[in-house]
Amino acid sequence: MIIETDVLVIGAGPAGSTAAKHAAIGGAEVLLVDKKSEIGTPKRCAEGVSKNGLKKLGIKPKNRWIAAEMDRVRLVSPSGIDVWLDQENVRLPETGYNLERKVFDKHMAMDAARAGSQIMVKTLAKELTLKDHHVLVKAESMGNTTKIKSKIVIGADGPESRVGRWAGLKSTTKPKNMESGAQFEMVGVELEDIRATEFYFGSVAPGGYAWIFPKGDDIANVGLGVINTITPKNAYQHLLDFVRECKATQNAVAVEFNVGGVPVGGPLNKFVTDNVMLVGDAAGQLNPLTGGGIISGMQAGLIAGEVAANAITEGNYSRENLKKYETLWLEENELTFQKYLKAKEYLQSLSDEELDSIARAFKGSDFERIGPMELLKKLVKVSPKAMVKLGKLF
Amino acid sequence: MLIREFCMYCGECAGVCPRNLIEVGESTLKFGQKDCKNCQICIQVCPVSALEVEERT
Repeated sequence: MIIETDVLVIGAGPAGSTAAKHAAIGGAEVLLVDKKSEIGTPKRCAEGVSKNGLKKLGIKPKNRWIAAEMDRVRLVSPSGIDVWLDQENVRLPETGYNLERKVFDKHMAMDAARAGSQIMVKTLAKELTLKDHHVLVKAESMGNTTKIKSKIVIGADGPESRVGRWAGLKSTTKPKNMESGAQFEMVGVELEDIRATEFYFGSVAPGGYAWIFPKGDDIANVGLGVINTITPKNAYQHLLDFVRECKATQNAVAVEFNVGGVPVGGPLNKFVTDNVMLVGDAAGQLNPLTGGGIISGMQAGLIAGEVAANAITEGNYSRENLKKYETLWLEENELTFQKYLKAKEYLQSLSDEELDSIARAFKGSDFERIGPMELLKKLVKVSPKAMVKLGKLF
Repeated sequence: MLIREFCMYCGECAGVCPRNLIEVGESTLKFGQKDCKNCQICIQVCPVSALEVEERT
């Protein structure tokens, strides 16, 4: 069987569905495929997004997919010293809503369908070839092999990112840049504040951090990310240790277990080529410090979808023409991502003792009244290397 | 490659495979064994240690 379409989107996460939606709005014929039988399941993340991020994308919050609202952040050092940040005083990434991704992702795919996109679930892309100004994708769906011929493919296939590499883009993630994540969704979590996201730093999660993202009442996502090249334990073993030691999870019970890779090396140098664009995790478009990527991936989806629709109208699917997407997305995000990358490297360089002394220095600080320069001065006092690693950012 | 039954098909192994040889389905994991250079990066990153080198006799 051969299916023909203008735009094929591979992967129906938030980035892929947003791309499909906007390509369809722009008038292109769109097919969105996902390998899973249920879009959004299983989730592979802690589910946090900023309110402003959704607003900028023009998405109205719906109770159906918002589990809880957050307005504070609690940072916890290795020996348990905590620093509180308020949303009002500090602009916090990935803080605002904690989603129910299973519902949210499906809702975004439905939006794509309402805009005119076709969707095929349980459909796995197996091969991709570029041929005479079109792309041929071999896919398997419920035992049937299908060939999908399209003018443009948008690869939203997540951290595995096979699409990019099939098209000749360098999207392999180095192991030192692949955060290995494990998470329980738990009930009976005893939180200090049910409106606060918690982050735990240090040897509890080598190369990354541990988190608690509350989802209302006594429910929360409790997880962590580690860099496997610097720890002999796997992410699951680290998670078991964390849950055993953490005060909040002493009486908590897991009802779900999630795992997955998070590519934290920053965005790819090039995520567009002839006939092919990458969006979301597949393009490394997630905050390298926090690992959060729902909004930045959707932002990419929006731009890529619009650029794809225009390219279809113009009949030009070359890299030159599709590159507008790359340029626009980088304009919006490159600088911020470079800062987060620096901040991540600095954080990774800190020992448990250093983290404790920083936490001690900042405990009880009134962040509303501290400007960035003062913040750095204060930080450099307890952690001199901050000057070298972060100085240029302020 | 030996895939243990508790593999969760998250695809982290596929993302780091330098030769793009790993296909992750909803509940399948396939290795392009023929071209594998045995670098074992996939084994190292697995969040649940579900991959093992197959003993060849």
